[in-house]
Amino acid sequence: MKKNTMALVQIVEPNTPVDKSQPRLAVGIDLGTTNSLVASVRNDVPVPLADTQGRFALASAVRYLKDNTVSVGRDAKQCASCDPYNCILSVKRLIGRGLEDVQQLGEQLPYRFQDGDSQMPLIETVQGCKSPVEVSAEILKVLRQRAEQVLGGDLFGAVITVPAYFDDAQRQATKDAARLAGINVLRLLNEPTAAAVAYGLDKQAEGVIVVYDLGGGTFDVSILRLTRGVFEVLATGGDSALGGDDFDHAIANWIVQQAGVSSDLEPGEQRRLMRLACDVKEALSSAESTLVQYKAWQAELSRADFEQLITPLVARSLKACRRALRDSDVELEEIAAVVMVGGSTRVPYVREQVAHMFAREPLADIDPDKVVALGAALQADVLAGNQADSDNLLLLDVIPLSLGLETMGDLVEKIVPRNTTIPVTRTQDFTTARDGQTAIALHIVQGERELASASRSLARFELRGIPPMVAGAAKVRVSFQVDADGLLSVTATETRSGVEARVEIKPSYGLSEDAISRMLEESIENAEQDRKARGLREQQVNAQRLLETVRAALQSDGNLLNEQERALIDEQLEKLEQAQQGDEIGAIARQIQQLNAATHEFASRRMDATVKRAFAGRQLEEV
Amino acid sequence: MANAAVAKALVSDMAKPTSNFFSLLELPLDFTVDLALLSHNYREAAKAVHPDRYASASDQDKRLAVQRSAELNQAYETLKSTTRRALYLLNLQEPMDEEATVQDTEFFMQQIQWREELEDLSDSEDIAALEVFKKRLRQLRGELDIEFAAVWQDGSQRELAERLVRRMQFLDKVLYEVRQLEERLDD
Repeated sequence: MKKNTMALVQIVEPNTPVDKSQPRLAVGIDLGTTNSLVASVRNDVPVPLADTQGRFALASAVRYLKDNTVSVGRDAKQCASCDPYNCILSVKRLIGRGLEDVQQLGEQLPYRFQDGDSQMPLIETVQGCKSPVEVSAEILKVLRQRAEQVLGGDLFGAVITVPAYFDDAQRQATKDAARLAGINVLRLLNEPTAAAVAYGLDKQAEGVIVVYDLGGGTFDVSILRLTRGVFEVLATGGDSALGGDDFDHAIANWIVQQAGVSSDLEPGEQRRLMRLACDVKEALSSAESTLVQYKAWQAELSRADFEQLITPLVARSLKACRRALRDSDVELEEIAAVVMVGGSTRVPYVREQVAHMFAREPLADIDPDKVVALGAALQADVLAGNQADSDNLLLLDVIPLSLGLETMGDLVEKIVPRNTTIPVTRTQDFTTARDGQTAIALHIVQGERELASASRSLARFELRGIPPMVAGAAKVRVSFQVDADGLLSVTATETRSGVEARVEIKPSYGLSEDAISRMLEESIENAEQDRKARGLREQQVNAQRLLETVRAALQSDGNLLNEQERALIDEQLEKLEQAQQGDEIGAIARQIQQLNAATHEFASRRMDATVKRAFAGRQLEEV
Repeated sequence: MANAAVAKALVSDMAKPTSNFFSLLELPLDFTVDLALLSHNYREAAKAVHPDRYASASDQDKRLAVQRSAELNQAYETLKSTTRRALYLLNLQEPMDEEATVQDTEFFMQQIQWREELEDLSDSEDIAALEVFKKRLRQLRGELDIEFAAVWQDGSQRELAERLVRRMQFLDKVLYEVRQLEERLDD
């Protein structure tokens, strides 16, 4: 083999922590419908983190008490029947949804709802109205505290998992909840992808794998191709309102029917019944039959009868599997493994049906309750820059539901079809319908339906300030961008006149940016001065980080600049350094902007160079 | 704001390297593509520009990574599909007017026939016959690729090449409708 004479340029990993001896504390969080988990990589192995009593799972239950305290976990769950209005269970089924959707879930929710300003359901509690985002934040806070206690330090950041089939509003709401909990979100990661990571890295798997993920309230199926550490999602599908909770409801309905009691139960009673149904379901995972006692009534429920009750629910999940298979263009024979994830895959009937559909025995050798958090922890470790060779893991995920715009006559124009790999940017041109029209209203929807009124409404906004023209003359360019978290941003510009109109997006089902800032401020009980001091410190840290990154970049890739360009950057570096030593927040911010502007083209060239090296590395390998 | 002005000037006098989707993915500019190499190169390039690699970098690098990755994904998606690849190649030569109405009588008759067949299948809900119909369309679709490969580089046959791309697009649409019908019959 002839050695390449060109010296290999040293590549500075963009994510590398400045001080390598001290890894950044990063965790993966599985924010589940029934239980939540936090995990972290310790000594190269992902492990779940336990509370002080040695328990891993945190019940996703939040109770608001009269004395202004909040209880989260098992204690809160146990009070579900005695204090139903202040005890919130399965909040994941509410997050990012409108009150109407919630009511359409077809279940009796024991809460007292109030309409919020953004169609978001607000739950009346003894501590006032709480949004699902705030309730979820309480769960995340407890997990964050647990992680900081166990790991012994402040968290650098977390990867939070979401069902792959979550739409934009549900993702945004989850991210907002994490922000409220004071967590730096490194990435929102799809649950089945997280499971595939834990499974794939553990088993050194290659080829096509299917992840069947049936949790407490959500169902996902993802089909991935694993190639030397690259996890490429080919297609995903699911149902964000299908899970083990629905099995419980099916049993509860059966009890109500058989026992001949009224189905209109008061909230505490309803909770007791659900609890009983869940116990019955769990018993039937091992027993062939179980005795069900409800008040004075009792009867046997056999596993076969239970299976009949859940057949339509399981069939829904299998239909989603077939669709994902079609979308992926993968043949059944190509599948190397089927991995089971989520507590509800413990139900034997579910396993049988999945085995039958894919013509192979599904795998469940990594605990289906923990595998998602473990995978998220692995990803968090890579994103925090703690892995020496981050080339070993790359996740290429997709958007689960098509994105579109409402056009005339309630029709939807699809702009980004489902299962498109993210990040993605798409633009589409529209025009005015009337002479002299100066504004156009845009309605962004998500889903597969042809009609906007039947789709999920994500946001509405108006583009104003279009100069009056004849109908059809204006050209409005709408650009959709979906980032690596699966989150959408939309911009619109009128291109013909050169007028760039401002665009404001009001989320239909989430918290507004103002509301989040207000809540964050309220949660910080510090005086104005403290806040200022912290602001300054944050800005100084930002400046310091930027200075270090740019200097590291100059050291490794300085050859990409000519003398004049280099001098400009050096000048800006010095100016930022000076500003950073002062105490003027505004001046630091300005210099950060200046340095960013001065290095923009440099950053772009470096990224090109990184791609070139990626190819160069391959060519050397193959000589 | 002198500094900002200088910074702006600096950016503008650095000409961006001219690139197309083929050079981005280190592939020869051709209609025939080695799909294994395409996927391999895509994964290597994705490793370099994906936002995950810049999760703790500056906001500027993060934004740039999202842009680059989106561009890379677009390139991969374009080159993976023979229809999009064919259209892309023609557009590189000279932009094709996709809105133009073009006479293709022979194909038009064919279109009507397919539409009728699809409607009949939709009424009869005959899954086996739908499968046969799909296979036939796929074969025709494959034949278009072969025809296009033979003519696209020949400037004098531009009109034919464009006609073939339009036929590809139409067949893709029918195949998409077949898939939707399959989905409906799965209920």
